This record gives sequence, C-alpha cells and structure tokens, in this order.
Amino acid sequence: MLFVFFVPFVAPCAPVSRRIQTVVWLLLLAISFGCNSGAKPVLDGPARVTRVVSLAPNLTEIVFAVGAGDKLVGRTSYCDYPPEAKAVAEIGDTLHPSLERIIALKPQLVLISTSSQLEVFTQQLQNQNIRVFVTDPQDLEGVFKSITQIGEMLGQKDQADVLVTKLRERANAVEQAVKGKAPVRVFYQVSGEPLYTAGRDAFVTDLMHRAGITSVTADVPGAWPKYSNESALAAKPEAIILPTGGSMGAANSEVTEALRQSPAALRGRVYKINDDYLTRPGPRAIDGLEAMARALHPDAFK
Amino acid sequence: MNRVTLRKTLISCALLGGALLLAIVSMSLLGSERLPARASLCALASLGTRACGLTSDQFDILFQIRLPRILLAAAVGGSLATAGAGYQALLRNPLAEPYLLGISNGAAVGTMIALVFFGAVEWIRPLLAFTGALAATFAVYRLARGRAGATPERLILAGVIVTTFLSSAIVFVTTMMDATRIRSFTFWLLGDLSGTSKALLPVAITITILGALALTLHARSLNLLMLGERDAFDLGVEVGRVRVVVFLVASLLVGSSVAASGSVGYVGLVVPHLARLSLGSDNRISIPAAALGGALFVIVADTVARTIIAPRELPVGAITALIGAPLFIYLLKRV
Amino acid sequence: MNPLLEARDVSVAYDHRIAVADLTLSLNPREITAIIGPNGAGKSTLLRALNGQIPKSSGSITLDGQPLERLNRRTISRHIAVVAQEAELRFPVTVLEFVLGGRFAWATHAGWGWETERDLEVANAVLKETELTELSSRLMNELSGGERQRALMARALATEAPILLLDEPTANLDLSHQATLLTLVRKRCDEHQSAALVVTHDINLAAQFANNITLMKQGRAVHSGTPKEVLRPELLREVFEVRVLVDTHPITGGPRITPII
Repeated sequence: MLFVFFVPFVAPCAPVSRRIQTVVWLLLLAISFGCNSGAKPVLDGPARVTRVVSLAPNLTEIVFAVGAGDKLVGRTSYCDYPPEAKAVAEIGDTLHPSLERIIALKPQLVLISTSSQLEVFTQQLQNQNIRVFVTDPQDLEGVFKSITQIGEMLGQKDQADVLVTKLRERANAVEQAVKGKAPVRVFYQVSGEPLYTAGRDAFVTDLMHRAGITSVTADVPGAWPKYSNESALAAKPEAIILPTGGSMGAANSEVTEALRQSPAALRGRVYKINDDYLTRPGPRAIDGLEAMARALHPDAFK
Repeated sequence: MNRVTLRKTLISCALLGGALLLAIVSMSLLGSERLPARASLCALASLGTRACGLTSDQFDILFQIRLPRILLAAAVGGSLATAGAGYQALLRNPLAEPYLLGISNGAAVGTMIALVFFGAVEWIRPLLAFTGALAATFAVYRLARGRAGATPERLILAGVIVTTFLSSAIVFVTTMMDATRIRSFTFWLLGDLSGTSKALLPVAITITILGALALTLHARSLNLLMLGERDAFDLGVEVGRVRVVVFLVASLLVGSSVAASGSVGYVGLVVPHLARLSLGSDNRISIPAAALGGALFVIVADTVARTIIAPRELPVGAITALIGAPLFIYLLKRV
Repeated sequence: MNPLLEARDVSVAYDHRIAVADLTLSLNPREITAIIGPNGAGKSTLLRALNGQIPKSSGSITLDGQPLERLNRRTISRHIAVVAQEAELRFPVTVLEFVLGGRFAWATHAGWGWETERDLEVANAVLKETELTELSSRLMNELSGGERQRALMARALATEAPILLLDEPTANLDLSHQATLLTLVRKRCDEHQSAALVVTHDINLAAQFANNITLMKQGRAVHSGTPKEVLRPELLREVFEVRVLVDTHPITGGPRITPII
C-alpha cells in the first residue's frame, strides 16, 4: 500500500509521459484499495463523509467548487480561497500542519497534496481511523480527475461532473483559439533574485503548453529548478510571465536582471498573472490558462 | 622550514596572484552557455573594449553575468579565508572559522532581516549583516569568558551554542515565509553567487582587499598571539586592541560575504589551514596567501556549481563542503 | 644606584580579594631578588602587577623613574621581560622564529615589519648563550622540557630588557637544567647590569643565587633582606607553618634549608 504513495515521488525521475504516470498511479491506487482487507482507508459510500480536512490550498478550492464547502472543518493558513474558506478552522500551514488539531476536529477524511506530508501523517492518521486521500495533479487532466474523485468522496458527484464538464469546455475553447497560432517562446520567472523557473514537472508547464506557449525551460528536469542567468539571457524569450499577486503579494513583480535586455523586456511583453491561478492545481487553473492565452495571443480572443 | 622573509612572501603572493588571474580568465570561459574561446579571450584581453566577434548576447553573458560573478566569488572566498585565518590566530585554534563560531549565522540573520523589512534598499544588507556578525561575535565572547579568560576551548563551545541558536532563529524565520520564498532562502543559505548586484560588487571587493590588508598589517602581533595571549602581552603586543581590530575586521569581511552570497562554508577552515601547512604559520605570509587561495578556491567551486547540472545550478556552499570536508579530514590526519 | 623598578605600598585586588597588600620592593641592577612564599601568597600576582598585566589598586610602581601606567605596552616590554613556565604551542614554530618573537618590542612598525639584521644578530647571540644554536631550526614542540625552558629564557633575553621577571622558571626542570638556568640569569645580571625577580618554590636555589629574598604571606611582604637575614627557622616557620632546619651549606657557605617532617 505504501508503495503507491511513493509513485508520485519517484515517477518524475523516470522519463515517462505524464499521462501514463497518472494512469499507472490511479491503477495502482485502485488495485491497492481493492487489495486491502480490513484497512481503514477504503472509502465506502459517499454520504459517509461529513467532516473533511484539507491540507493544501488547491484541495480547499476543489472542495468548495464541488459544493462541499459546508463539510470542510479544517484548512491550512494558506487556504484563502474562496473567501468562505477563511471562516474554517486553521490547522497550521502546508509544511507543518498540526496533527493534534486535525484529530481534534474529528474528520473522517483528510485530503493531502504533497508527498512530504504523506510520510509524516499517513500512518498516524490511519491509527486514528481517519481516512487519507492523496492527490497531487501534475497537469490539467489530473486536476479534472481530482475534482471528480473528491466530488465522489464528498457526496457531490453530480456537481463535480458538471464542474469538470464546464472547465473542460473552457480549456478546449482556449486550445482551439490558439490552435494554428505560432507558439510564443516564453520564460516563466518564479523568482528573480535568485532566478527560479518552471521545469518539466511543474504543473504550470502543462498549462503553458495548452495556452499556445513554448516554455523555454520545458525540458529542464525537476519542477522548480534554479536557473542559470546566462542560459536565461541566451534563451532570448519573446515574452516573460511573472506569477505574482494573489497570496504572494507584490513579490516577483520585476523582471530579473539577466532578462532586462531580452526581446520580451524590450518590447514590453512582460505579463503579470495571479500566482494562485498558476500554482494551485484546482478549478482556477482554467482562469490561469485563459489569462496566459489571452495575454500571449490577444488576437485569438477578439 | 626556513623563516619567512619579505622575499619569500612576495614570491608566494606573486605566484598565487598569478594563479588567481589565470583562474579568473579560464573560469570565465566556462558556463552553462558555450562561448567561443578565442573570441572570449580576445575580448577579455581588451578589457571589454572590443567585442572580437562575440555576438552582443555572448558579450553580455561574458561581461555582465559571468565576470561579475567570478569577481564576486573571488571577493567572497578571499574575505572568508582571511577572516578564518584571523580567527584561528587570535583564538589560537586551528578549528576557528566564521561558520563554527556562529558569525556567519549572525550575518545571515542580519541579512534576512534586511531582506524582509528593507527589501528594496540594497546597501542595508551588508550593513545589517555586519551588525549581525558583530553581535554574534560579542555574544560568543561574553559566553566564553570564564575565570581563566576566554580560552580557545570555551570560545569554540560558545561558538557552537551561538551557531545552533541562530540556526534555529533562521529556521523560525523561514517557517514564516511562503513556499517560494523558502525555497530560494534555503538555496541562498547554502551559498548562492548568482545574485550579483552591480552596486555592491565593488564594495565587496574593496572590503576584501582592505580587510586582508588590515589583518596582514597586524600579522606580527598575531604571530605572537598565536602562541599565547599572556606571552604576547609580555612581549609588547597590545592584546586588547588587536583583538578588537581582528573581531571588527573579520565581522566586516564575513558580513560582506554573507550579505552578498549567503553562507559559503569550509572556506574559512580549509584554506588558511592549507596555507599554513604549505607556507608556515607566520601570518605575514599565511594571511595574504589565505586571501588569494580563498579567492581561487571559491572561483573554482562556483564554476562547478554553475556548470555541473547546467542549465540548473547548485548552491556553491554544497560544492565547497563536498571538497572541503574530505580535504579537511585528510589535513587532520596529516597533522 | 637607582633602582630599575620600584614598587611602593602596592596593593592589588584580584579575583574579588586582596592578593597583594602594601608591598614595597625595588629591583636594582646586578641583583637577583627572590620572592618566596606558600601557595596563594600572591607571588605571581605581584609579578604580573609589576609588568602591568594586572592593574594595581593602590600604591606606585615606577619603571626607571616613570609611573608604569603612563608607559605604553611596547616601552614596558623593552624594559621588562617575563619568563613564564610554559608556552602554548598550538601552532608549529621553529626555535629561531620563537626566539625572534622577543624582538617584537623593537619593531619600527607596530604589528608589521620584518626582522632586521640586528634582530638576527641578537637572536643568534642569545641562542648561543642558552646553548640552543644546534636546535634553532627545529620545531618547538619537538624539544624536551628543559630545552623549551631555555628557549623561553632565550626569547626573554632577546628583548634585551634590563629587568627580568621569572615566574617559577625551574618548576618543570631537572636538576642540571635548574642550575643552568639560574646561572644564566646570574650571568646576565652581572654582565649587563640587569635586575631579576625570581618567583620560586625552591628555597635552596634562591638561597644560592639571590641577593635579596622577600618572604610573602597572604599578600604581604613579611620579611626582606639577604638570604642569611631572612632564611631563619623562626621566620620560615611563621610564613610556611612548618618546622625547618637551617644549617650552613658546606660548599657555598650560604643557608641550607631542610624541612623537618
């Protein structure tokens, strides 16, 4: 069973396409759920879950989006959307959530996003008869699947399906609009000093691809690599995306020194997009997709 | 080993200086982007006045990104090694080093405060770093003062206490940051030479040179201090004054390095040790040699850090530790 | 003849207590003065106060007529040299380099500069005097205890200071070295008009070499004078609280002290 949890951890290291990864992972998850006899994490019946805790902002957004916001009894301090989420009790931050607080809230289900949280918590939560569901979508399809699964677990299957359909429509609309347009070469700047970018395994890389963007760092191994200033300069991107605002505030609102003479900077093609749209694999990822597509292919959306 | 003379010192410094120059030139040919060697050498020789066939991007990479970074590496390495040599002589302990004594962490806390509260104002960083380093020095010294004075052992112990305390403070501050910031801070804490601010580079270089000069001018006093504070006093050294000078200068050197590039470890430990092993314990030769050697060491380590997984980068502190730790073990065995 | 170093009614508070109280003594050229007393009598504290390391709380100490507090460190070191018991040898240093350390007080630029021809001359002369010439390029921590002590002596002599303060210099030496060391001191005083102050536990050695002896107890100088005057059973009993037999040394003619157990 534990092996399943390590797959998302290990998988990025293998040069296997993201789609296949997700399928294999889900398959293994299904198999291990089926194979488990007597172990608690088997979800039996959607209506059983009335109290759920979320340990990641994107998962909180998904819970509310499928209409199960009233079932959320615990969230991290970073879970700030939708505004109703702020009324829910805090159980710490994403990196160090408080196990005691979680248990005190008596949830039946805890939603987990990162593998680091996994290792620490899974066993202890299971000991308390609390079910754990892990989902760490690496791309948009993964997001749709998470929404569907969480919707099912929280008894909101219909609403989840409707949401996924709507989101899919919007995504397809974007992809259709930019189809045939020359992809724009973009540098995605996570932070300026020091210079970090989005690599092969970053969620936003998939979004950029769908928005008709060629990320110049799409092949760099890892999710958020620290990038060489030289290579950034040599890449000569046509446009630069600065994820900023949202929960990040005013940070990262300036292009890094090495790119100040790039074609992107010189032509003013620097686009600030709400960081929360781009780094939370949830329903608002579509907002991010649309924002990027509109910014980089304005003529496709007249 | 024969005693140190002016001639021996000048020859060693000339050799090391030559090696440093060679390193600066050769390492600027290496990086995550390939530059044509001949054209680059030509452009370097002309000190940037001629492009020698390099495209404007290549020229920018060489002179706006690589060369400043290499010069910063030299300044950081020179500063840390000089500070290490100073501490080792003053505290009579070959293990004394800015990191071990908590001085680096003090400077790091100062820099973090500057970054979080005065982010935009660049010059506040080295200032607060210097203050942090000085505060840590003060704390270590007060903690170490026992009945028999601050013996080297007590100083190291006090240093360890202050280091660990400040490390927890740093961790505490990082937990209050969001995920993106944490990532970049963790990297910075391990030593990051990529953020070269044009304004601070000449300051860093000046501080390195002046600091090394200042400590070398006290080399003879340090030679005597190395063999005992009481003896040095008896022989005419103004111990209190020299101690203040060394602590101030070393804090300045460490503060300037840490503000520019985070904590690059092992330089202050390994380089002065190597200098003393090969040239003798006389500070008149070993301090300048440590300064030049430290510059060399960090230039090479940083070149590895920025090319080995190109276009990604490793923190230079990881490389100095990877080289420094086994080197240090080997040195320990020899002595 | 004027005393080289004079202490008048000097008191020194150290470690929250009075270590030295109202002590008067003077060091004259060609004289060796021995300070003798039980542990905790304040002997070493007195020595340290005389060279300015520990500040006195009252009284006056004058060096060549000048108050000690008014003089800077280097000036003092050119006049007063200290020979301690041990050297901290945490870093490798050759005997020659070690002895050259004594020339620091004569350096023209404080803290920097290179040794002059004169410095080397003096160092070599002093190495000869202490019979260390053959060992001059060896590392200090390769030397035996006695040889190291001679090196300490050589360094002090290299300062060319007319006043020598020796703090238990024979403590770690065997018999032959004890005699050699004090003979050196005697020679210095005779040939260069130096004055020496020797703090020691070895009463008999003091009896042989010292011109004056001061008995200290609880920070006070209880008796001073020539060995014959001071080394008397009742005075020694008062200071050491032990019975002693004092007879005449068959060869030197001076007092010989034997404790009665």
